[in-house]
Amino acid sequence: MIGSIEVRGLSRTFHTTVRRPGFMGAVRSLVNPERVAKDAVSDITFDVAPGELLALLGPNGAGKSTTIKMLTGILTPTSGEARVAGVVPYQERERNARNIGAVFGQRTQLWWDLPVRESFAILRDIYDVPEDEHRTRLREFDELLDLSSFWDTRVRHLSLGQRVRSDLAAALLHDPRVVFLDEPTIGMDVVVKEQVREFLRYQVEERGRTVLLTTHDMTEVERLAERVVLINHGRLVLDGTLDEIRRKFGSTWQVRVTLADPHTPVEALPGMVLVRREGPQVVFGPDGPTAPAMHQALKQVIERYEVTDIALDEADLEDVMRAAYVQAGGE
Amino acid sequence: MSTKALRVVWRITRLNFRAQLEYRSEFLMMIAIGAVWQVSVIVFATVLLTRFSGMGGWDSSDVLLIPATRMLAHGLFVLFLGRVHGLARHIQEGVIDTYLVRPMPVYRQLQLSYFPTNAIGDLTVAAGLMAGALSRSDLDWTATRITYLVVCVLGGMLLEAAMFTAVACASLRFPAADYWGRWLEELLGTFGSYPLNVLPKAVGGFLTFGLPLAFVAYFPAAVLTGHDTAVPYWLAAVSPLLGAAAYLGSRLLWRWSLRHYTGVNG
Repeated sequence: MIGSIEVRGLSRTFHTTVRRPGFMGAVRSLVNPERVAKDAVSDITFDVAPGELLALLGPNGAGKSTTIKMLTGILTPTSGEARVAGVVPYQERERNARNIGAVFGQRTQLWWDLPVRESFAILRDIYDVPEDEHRTRLREFDELLDLSSFWDTRVRHLSLGQRVRSDLAAALLHDPRVVFLDEPTIGMDVVVKEQVREFLRYQVEERGRTVLLTTHDMTEVERLAERVVLINHGRLVLDGTLDEIRRKFGSTWQVRVTLADPHTPVEALPGMVLVRREGPQVVFGPDGPTAPAMHQALKQVIERYEVTDIALDEADLEDVMRAAYVQAGGE
Repeated sequence: MSTKALRVVWRITRLNFRAQLEYRSEFLMMIAIGAVWQVSVIVFATVLLTRFSGMGGWDSSDVLLIPATRMLAHGLFVLFLGRVHGLARHIQEGVIDTYLVRPMPVYRQLQLSYFPTNAIGDLTVAAGLMAGALSRSDLDWTATRITYLVVCVLGGMLLEAAMFTAVACASLRFPAADYWGRWLEELLGTFGSYPLNVLPKAVGGFLTFGLPLAFVAYFPAAVLTGHDTAVPYWLAAVSPLLGAAAYLGSRLLWRWSLRHYTGVNG
């Protein structure tokens, strides 16, 4: 389907040599190398609908970049299949390249020694974009990313934020239906990050582009993603909306109370644990699967103790994802 | 390559050249490096002309045709196809990945990654050497001979490109293979200027059938000057064709290697 991503049982295995410890180990590895197969991505299946922004999340080494590399045609999978806008990327690399845009946050696709605008002009020629379309699109990107303040500067002299904004524009100049973003805002300051997020939101909501994003920035996920796919050790462990993920892993609330009498003895309540006590300040947390819902926890605390102040802290997405990674890692 | 693709190649080359020109000192230094790099060939030619009447049964004017042909082939290789040398850096920096997501052949993008200013130095030395070799030559430079010389220079360029492309293919899998490229460059520079019959038979055999250096300039010069070599005349005469065939083979190997590219950092 135009603008969609379909992934079916995709796997990629790398063969590496085991490094034995110490000098003699290194010599033994040289003479008698032990080869092992490592599944970087193992049998993952998911879809991204046209015009949807999906966040592909996971800890470092989970297989996110390898997945993106297979979907952009850089790597050939060991097994399984993928289609991006109806094209098998690793079989028809150049055709796929015309349908996609890609930004790898840590490296640029621009010509290092040329001013940004010259790189844009080269890409216009490579992708065969008509001049009037190119000009219109540049004007639009300039309004959103403020490119004209630095687009006559050579890429080698740009700051990281300017460079990534230029890379984003470069990746979208040929109007691709599908965009892959591998940690696009890594190392950026908050102002530029926000500008980039606005730009991405505009590309999805107004232009209907399909976006697959990997990031470790949970604020970014919260602001941009409708759906999240979580992978760990190369396996897909979760595919759902942010609400579903919160429901499954987000029960890490805390109830903070200030007791009216600081000498009141305190003990754990049903389904709750006493996290800590400092004088009149007491913190309760959920106790595993028997934990009550947040409003019930509040009710229980108020009914049992006389309090002068009460507050409920809900876990933020970062805590939720931490819980998800830990649980997924243990499974 | 289509006209449209040629236009893109020309545009990128022009922009890359202009970018190099803007760093004036760097630009001049690179030209100087290109010329100075060939100092061993210049010394070889000077010693040959001033101290010896010949080498291995060849007149010094005939011998001079070998380094001149090789240098010219090498200069053209550096200018048109030389970026394939040193591919490991592109792999380790992940630049190859960005080439793979553009609708243009990766090999072409690699060649267009920057303008090789040092080739100007290489070609200046090579042109001077060739002019010297031709002016000292007693041969009758008919149109056929000149055409054959031109074809041999182009064949030599393709053969050198084939050897470095083969090393680049190995680098795609093992980036450390790039060191073999340096060894190859050293070897071509050291032995490329001699009539190989002055070397021990085993070394000559290796530089003919192991590493086909003899086909870059030695055999073509022998055919032009009418000297016998260790291989049949017809084989020496088809050197440019072998260069073209080797290059074609190396490009097929490149295609295969790129399909099996595993990248770095997963």
